[in-house]
Amino acid sequence: MNAIVAVLKPADAVVSAPFFLRGELFEGQDAIHRSRDLGVAFATPRIALDRVVHPRTQVPPLLNVPLAEIIDFLVETGQRIRDPNNPFMRECVDRMTVTHVLPRAVLEWQTRSAAAYLDKRLLQTVVEQNFPDPKALDEWVPKQDFTGRKSFVRAFAPRLIHVLPGNSPGVAVKSIAQGALVKAINLFKMSSSDPFTTVAVLRIMADIDRDHPIVKSMSAVYWRGGDDALERVLYRPQYFDKIVAWGGGDAISNVIKYLGPGFQLVSFDPKTSISMVGREAVSCDEALDLTADLAAADVMVLNQEACVASRFIFVEANQGEADRFCERLHARIVEKAAASGDTRPLDMDLREQIDMLVMLDDEFRVWGKTDGKGLVIRSDEPVDFHPINKTANVVRVDSLADAVRYVNVATQTVGFYPFERMPDYRDRLASCGAQRIVRLGEAGPSTIGNPHDAMYPLHRFVHWMAHEDGVEPH
Amino acid sequence: MSSAIEKLMRLASAEDRFDYSAAELRETQVAALDERFQERKDRIKLLGHRAREAGTTEIRGREDMVPLLFPHTVYKSYPESFLIEERWDRLGKWLGTVSPYPISSIEISDITDIDDWVERLRAKGHYVSCSSGTTGKSAMLLASDRDMDWSRTDTVNVFSWGSGVQPTRDRRMMGLAPTAAVPKNLVIGEAQQAAFGDPAKERFRLPIPAITVGSLTKMIVLRKKIADGTARPEELAVFEQTAEARQEALDQAMIAGAEALIKYRDEKLYISGLWNALYQVAKIVRDMGYSAQDFHPDNCIYVGGGLKRAQLPPDYQEFVHQTFNIPANKDFQNYSMQELNSGMPKCQKGDRYHVPPWLVPFILDEEGLTLLPHETGEIEGRAAFYDLSIDGRWGGIITGDKISLNFSPCACGCEGASVRNNIVRYADLPGDDKIGCAGTVDAYVRGLS
Repeated sequence: MNAIVAVLKPADAVVSAPFFLRGELFEGQDAIHRSRDLGVAFATPRIALDRVVHPRTQVPPLLNVPLAEIIDFLVETGQRIRDPNNPFMRECVDRMTVTHVLPRAVLEWQTRSAAAYLDKRLLQTVVEQNFPDPKALDEWVPKQDFTGRKSFVRAFAPRLIHVLPGNSPGVAVKSIAQGALVKAINLFKMSSSDPFTTVAVLRIMADIDRDHPIVKSMSAVYWRGGDDALERVLYRPQYFDKIVAWGGGDAISNVIKYLGPGFQLVSFDPKTSISMVGREAVSCDEALDLTADLAAADVMVLNQEACVASRFIFVEANQGEADRFCERLHARIVEKAAASGDTRPLDMDLREQIDMLVMLDDEFRVWGKTDGKGLVIRSDEPVDFHPINKTANVVRVDSLADAVRYVNVATQTVGFYPFERMPDYRDRLASCGAQRIVRLGEAGPSTIGNPHDAMYPLHRFVHWMAHEDGVEPH
Repeated sequence: MSSAIEKLMRLASAEDRFDYSAAELRETQVAALDERFQERKDRIKLLGHRAREAGTTEIRGREDMVPLLFPHTVYKSYPESFLIEERWDRLGKWLGTVSPYPISSIEISDITDIDDWVERLRAKGHYVSCSSGTTGKSAMLLASDRDMDWSRTDTVNVFSWGSGVQPTRDRRMMGLAPTAAVPKNLVIGEAQQAAFGDPAKERFRLPIPAITVGSLTKMIVLRKKIADGTARPEELAVFEQTAEARQEALDQAMIAGAEALIKYRDEKLYISGLWNALYQVAKIVRDMGYSAQDFHPDNCIYVGGGLKRAQLPPDYQEFVHQTFNIPANKDFQNYSMQELNSGMPKCQKGDRYHVPPWLVPFILDEEGLTLLPHETGEIEGRAAFYDLSIDGRWGGIITGDKISLNFSPCACGCEGASVRNNIVRYADLPGDDKIGCAGTVDAYVRGLS
């Protein structure tokens, strides 16, 4: 266990994680769960199942609330999240430090920056980018085709289950906002490493106006992912339209067996991000310093817990040049790791595999130790394991074209240098399955309203409903 | 070999080997661990690295050993590309980092496949066994001639102690396990045959082609190619057909096994297999109209391994025993694993697995980093062992198992350390629902299923 956490919270402390069901807070200690990462126990109430499902015979509460009002409400929520004295957020971070792998300062920074999503212009832009005509969210938009046939189309409020990831509180805030923007009835299934943030944000919303339809549209609960007793009950088209799931592996394979007509999956898949660094980077010391700095920034996004964080860095260079790049990259990663105060040691499995590469030193070279303070591995092919916890794998290639074959449908972001070569590569990268190409060092930020995981998510969330209205008389 | 190790190893065939309490063995075991450490620290490259990192120069107590125990995954730590691209020299170099003996140079220019490579190493006294993991990397375990000799003796001792069956060479051997033809399994099979089998009676084996290291790794290579996107559709289709044909052959072999059992039902049998295959064969035998009263009343059974995630009804053990008329006092179970040389047979009375003196058990925390304090009674945690009988690789291993180890005497009367019959793999425990947006293609691209 992380030494810092051990001092702050003894492992036997049971933190309580309340639920929020359509405006009401539920507290209780009916079930004890374990956070897998740190093995800490947390207690939750029983899920009042009838309260999480909104009968189909009643239209969604947000349906006729104007989008502008929803956005104002979200903006107000964001201001309160950012307020350092907000009691709900403070309590939330207190609890989260017990179950989460990231240190408190990083978690506080994350929650504050998550609120940045709740900005008026940003939310408006997201809607405008996702819908050719955002009016369809507020009203039945009249249409007429070239034959004279008329109709009305509505981006109708859906019923969504969001299976949230545990690696970033930002996703909780973003999911709440997106669910509100499409006026959905939302059930958030929280993760065991963060069963707190979503409820905290919903409590802030209830504190603004506990009777607002937005508050009445939101529920957040925890159950162990894959718990058939619950999932068999809830994962039904009679109750929900879509399941919006983050993550992969077991989390998704459990969901898949419930899919069918009327109950669809929108998946934000688990992703790996990489960097591609051209030979221009190793041409002189200045370029080496610059690119190592940019690459380190991409590796260290959320201390490499995020999907946009780079893990494999393909460098177009000979071995000596690659080694000079590695040395600098390692120094930058170590600096950032030290500044974050995050010193989790590497998992035993990962340590084992890296130690082995140290032994095979004629083909691999390793900078740093497996102590969680930052590590770089140079190889001629990507390593077998998933580099995580401040670990970067620099793969030496003769040409960046050789790196393209390692890109696949799980590749999300490709950080690229030099910038002027990006147009040469974007088609090939898309063809292999990648979803974003960005300037090296800018893996984190993205153009507001841009597609995510190769789709416009809000457009997929809604229930597109047509009202056919006959033919215009000639 | 030096004194403390010798003292413990001398108990190998002693009748009372499970009677030495943990407390009375403690001092000798620690001395033996130090002897082995001193002798190996400059010979096993990875061990030397570990010792330097931990600053260990001497083993003065069991806790000193913990940072030097290798996680079971260490034998999977070779870069997979070495295997896929058939880079035999690199694989050899990797073996060299975990081997106490220099890996002899072998001619590699004309090696046809991995089975050929394994065979050439065997000729030089390096025995490579592969685990049969079909979903992940396969573990490669190195052993020496001494290890093979040991396995030959230990397997007979373990079976004899656990089942009460004497090695009097009076049984027909019925092998019903589709097991991998790796050196350790082969040696064990031969030793059991020599000790318990009637030389006049031919040993029955399932009529299926041998499962070699090569056939095991083929699947692993394909899985990797699928994930990389380099597997062609035709290649996959061929694999599907092969898998189907293999299953069909296996189904046929099960019928042949049932028929052979029925044919030899009057003879005294020694039945061996894995639970899944034994259950299937038993079911066929029943369907053919035969059961306990048709079989010899003194049959015995050797079951290797656990359920391996097979889905069987809760009473599968009774069902198998009753079908073949296995007397209650001949129930045999053994706790061991590919990573260990020595077995821990289960006693009849106490329902516990007994740890021999040359196998030093450690109970660690779940992460496998810290030794849990344990002087008396029972504690639960991650199992680790130092197996002093291992020669061809480092004997210290951290397993993936959660076990309960007891230092108090067992109901069967044995005073030595014993393991409760409730072993589970950490990987099979529920509760792992951690999800994040950062993952690999393996996490969601459909593999071989």
